[in-house]
Amino acid sequence: MNKITVKICMGTTCFVMGASQLQELMDIIPSKYGDKVEIQGVPCLEFCNVNTESNAPYVAVADTIVKNATVDKVLETIERKLGYGQE
Amino acid sequence: MFIDIDCAQEKKYNQNTFGDYFLSKRYPEKGELIAVLSDGLGSGIKANILATMTATMLLKFVEAGKSIKTACEVVMNSLPVCQVRKISYATFSVIHCNEEGDVKIVEEGNPSFIYISDGKAIEPEYTVIDSETHKNRHMHVYKLKLKMGDRLIFCSDGVTQAGLGNPELKLGLRRSGLIRFLLEKLNDSPDISSSDLARFVVRIAQNTEKDRLAKDDISCCSIYYREPRKALIFTGPPYHQEKDNQYANEFYSSPCKKAICGGTTANLISREVNVPVQCNIARSVGKLPAVSQMQGVDLVTEGILTLTRTVEYLENGFNGKEADAAYDLMQFLLSSDCIEFMVGAKLNQAHYDPNLPIEIEIRKNIVKKMAKILEDKYIKKVTLRYI
Repeated sequence: MNKITVKICMGTTCFVMGASQLQELMDIIPSKYGDKVEIQGVPCLEFCNVNTESNAPYVAVADTIVKNATVDKVLETIERKLGYGQE
Repeated sequence: MFIDIDCAQEKKYNQNTFGDYFLSKRYPEKGELIAVLSDGLGSGIKANILATMTATMLLKFVEAGKSIKTACEVVMNSLPVCQVRKISYATFSVIHCNEEGDVKIVEEGNPSFIYISDGKAIEPEYTVIDSETHKNRHMHVYKLKLKMGDRLIFCSDGVTQAGLGNPELKLGLRRSGLIRFLLEKLNDSPDISSSDLARFVVRIAQNTEKDRLAKDDISCCSIYYREPRKALIFTGPPYHQEKDNQYANEFYSSPCKKAICGGTTANLISREVNVPVQCNIARSVGKLPAVSQMQGVDLVTEGILTLTRTVEYLENGFNGKEADAAYDLMQFLLSSDCIEFMVGAKLNQAHYDPNLPIEIEIRKNIVKKMAKILEDKYIKKVTLRYI
């Protein structure tokens, strides 16, 4: 299975809308999923400027965009991608 | 040429204030600088008042273009008289120089300055002007033409007399001893900044004293003629998207020190010059997003929040415990002499969403404010370019 990459937007809007709290994921993800999931910060995912209605903070879990991201929402999305709970 | 000037000082042991006073002022439109180093009679508050008055008055007189002789007479006649010694006294060195390297120096009572050019100490010629009203007060007037890399070091007698009376240094460090230390230091680090060199001299003087206790006020002012250090900061995407490529390449190929402030801006430059930008995995410090890395760029930060915080630091000083991205940006700015901002005029609508928990300043305004502080408080040469 391919490694899943999680990108947290560190742009201004996302940061003030809660991305600063998402940094917890930098500890949680490696300990929970090991090598299966890679996490990185990105300067800006550039979604804030496209959507008229702001849904910041944004996190990209592989090709899925998590709007109004929280730690739980991101973990949920990762688990769905990994196929957990679908056996 | 850029005139790098700074002063370092140490108080006399057991005193709570400096008895030497240093003052300097730059005149960017004329490319000139005036500096005065004065050593007041005695030490502590009394000396401080004498030295402060002398330095402040002399700077004003020179600024107004008055003759130095008249200025000195006025200063000497107006100083308060010491009740103990029944005299009023503050020695001084006045330096009036420009970016072309023309330097005029007037000294009275301070140890003669040290002029270092091409790794050698030079003893320049001077003329003597005697005071009409005060016996034993003679001014030495120097006119010099300095070139790139030349240095001038001024100090109070607390430096040259450091260690006086020690068994191994009966006459103290002396000017000749200081010159030896300076030449050695400059041989090791030829590009040392004025601020580091002045601190070095003060440290040498202090180390020479018995038990490192300064027996007099110690001051050193250093002047260094060098190439200006240039910095370029790109913040905000350009108004016309079709010009992204042109501006990104202009920025990236510039020989200056470079910083990017803004996530979208970093992405834009990364895309146009095809160099990846890596966001630091390390936790963000102090409620600011962490810095990112890009090859060929010295600093990459988030935009408005970092710029706003940097302005706060520049205004009020940095008092945080941990260095954050704004601290890095402040250091980047303060270690440059000429700073150019490329300010992209495109607005990010999301920043004006009333639902944002904090108010986000308009980029143009915050950069303008930063430029003004850098010019007024830190005497930097700042250029703003809206793109």
